[in-house]
Amino acid sequence: MSLAVSLPRSRGSAGTNPLPRSRGSAGTDPLPRTRGSAGTNPLPRSRGRAGWGRLVVIAVLIAAALVTIAPFLWLVVSSLKTETDIFASPLALLKAPTLDNYASLFKQFHFAIATLNSVVISLGVVMISVALGGLAAYGFSRYPFTGSRMLLTGLLITRMVTPAALVVPLYLIMNALGLLNTLISIILGIAVLNLPFVIWVLRPFFDALPREIEEAGLVDGLSPFGVFLRIAVRLAAPGLVTVALLSFIAGWTDLLFPMSFATTPEATPLTSGLLQMQTGYKIYWGSLMAGGVYLTLPTLILSFALQKYLIRGMRLGYGR
Amino acid sequence: MRQAVRDLPPPIAGEGRAGGKVARRFLPTLREGRRARRLTGLGLTLPALIFVFAFMVYPVASLAILSFQEYAPLRSTVTSFAGLANYAWLVGSDLVHQSIWVTVVFTAASVAIEMGVGLAIAVLLAKLVVELRGQAGRLLTRLLGGVFILPFATPAIAGAIAWKTLLNPQFGPVDAILHTDIAWFAQFPLASVIVADAWKMTPFVLFLMFAAILSIEPEQYEAARLDGANGWQEFRYLTLPLILPVVAVTAAFRAVDAFTKIFDTVFVTTGGGPATDTQVFPLLIWRTTFDYLNFGHASALAVVAIIVSALLGASLLAIRRASST
Repeated sequence: MSLAVSLPRSRGSAGTNPLPRSRGSAGTDPLPRTRGSAGTNPLPRSRGRAGWGRLVVIAVLIAAALVTIAPFLWLVVSSLKTETDIFASPLALLKAPTLDNYASLFKQFHFAIATLNSVVISLGVVMISVALGGLAAYGFSRYPFTGSRMLLTGLLITRMVTPAALVVPLYLIMNALGLLNTLISIILGIAVLNLPFVIWVLRPFFDALPREIEEAGLVDGLSPFGVFLRIAVRLAAPGLVTVALLSFIAGWTDLLFPMSFATTPEATPLTSGLLQMQTGYKIYWGSLMAGGVYLTLPTLILSFALQKYLIRGMRLGYGR
Repeated sequence: MRQAVRDLPPPIAGEGRAGGKVARRFLPTLREGRRARRLTGLGLTLPALIFVFAFMVYPVASLAILSFQEYAPLRSTVTSFAGLANYAWLVGSDLVHQSIWVTVVFTAASVAIEMGVGLAIAVLLAKLVVELRGQAGRLLTRLLGGVFILPFATPAIAGAIAWKTLLNPQFGPVDAILHTDIAWFAQFPLASVIVADAWKMTPFVLFLMFAAILSIEPEQYEAARLDGANGWQEFRYLTLPLILPVVAVTAAFRAVDAFTKIFDTVFVTTGGGPATDTQVFPLLIWRTTFDYLNFGHASALAVVAIIVSALLGASLLAIRRASST
């Protein structure tokens, strides 16, 4: 009586996708339900008036798209210019692209170690969030206990805590523990603010799993923890990917905790490293722009690659 | 993670059984006692709860205590009981009043812009996607989806750098195009910060609105069309009422986030200046802590911020509950 066999069978009635489908996140499409509505649309199309109307709509959308990408394009283009060129001709296109600004990041501003620090911080946040958040979301979903609803509500309210307010006491605690200027303090700070969000996003994924499979696992002699680890985690993998992605972005982009807890280059990640380029006396514009692009590239690539997970997380974390 | 899990199925069948005898004797199953199930639930959630307690609940509690003490390491390392002195300062300080006002204006303006623009683009995009059938609609959705996700995927600090340079009076393209030399972040600091934030967060609203609109049944539009409704009437009497709950929740979420979490964008672009013109509340707390090193004052500010956050959070949950029924 192997589970591998019973998996597809018990899933039959619930559709082939163990995801919270009822939410309208239609399978693999990044923008939910477009496929269905676009395909089966029964609207009559009246050519004449609609033709002009559609042109206007398309023009507005293209304008909006241009405004959306222009700032980032400008940042990329300018970061490839020399500082003299940036000042001389702001609107000029690239004449001779140079990577000098990017080289300066590593020569002048410790970006090698900062990159490593950012990676460690992000992975640390991902590990804590996925491990603790996954367990808790599963517990809240499957084994409600006295007061669990209240705890859950409490957890959700902690999501609204102003990060800057938490920094004050955490700073004193980290100081007492001797953890200032370590990556650990930064990871703990970001993770504790991220965890409630993770639980909020993950719980619906577990709610949507068919219970029979897990019960079969229990009958087969797995412990509840075993069922979680070997069955639930596997079925809720898309949810865990979503949460891991959002946690990585949270760790990668956080500025508040690094700039509060770390002053040495050894514990400075990219975000607070960027601040060194604008001192009271001089702003290193070229490096600043290159640094901005450098910081953005990983989250941008991840977001494009995992677009559907990102948007699903967005919809589950907010709205509904 | 996926890879690791994929390797597991055989062990579930084999090893799971071997361990089964032990498990059946000691561990609760879904069918066994309620008490055991509750303990299981507590056990699963306990690690997260302990973590949140140690690094969130306990710090906030110690913050409350600190807010009744005088603690300014620059003057003296000794903490002493100060009664309500920190709160008295907070109530009387112009700096605090200004900060609260700036934060309220920022929140109201950026949320209004984000909701307005986000909803408008979402409506147009949905209209186009529904009208262009099949392949073309799908391609367009994917393309525009990729474009609009860009600001969302850009770290706040990088977006702030982009806008700081875009609006720079010496080499910024905005002034170059307009043939002006306005130092936007100095002359119109709050408006500039709002623009930078709206650029980053509007796509977020757009995605949520778009999803909500497309979840409306096409048949309802068909009926409206047969009744002779034009585009505006369709939006006003069909789309808007149907998505209003999502609009309300999204606006509430954005407002809470804007009010409590605005930091990076302001810190990088204006640093709260000129003078303290854009010193939003989170930034005020941070500066009181790390620039003025007055932990007593900072704690009182933080306590106020957390109370406001909790109230906003609770009312948000109430809105959510009301709109889902």
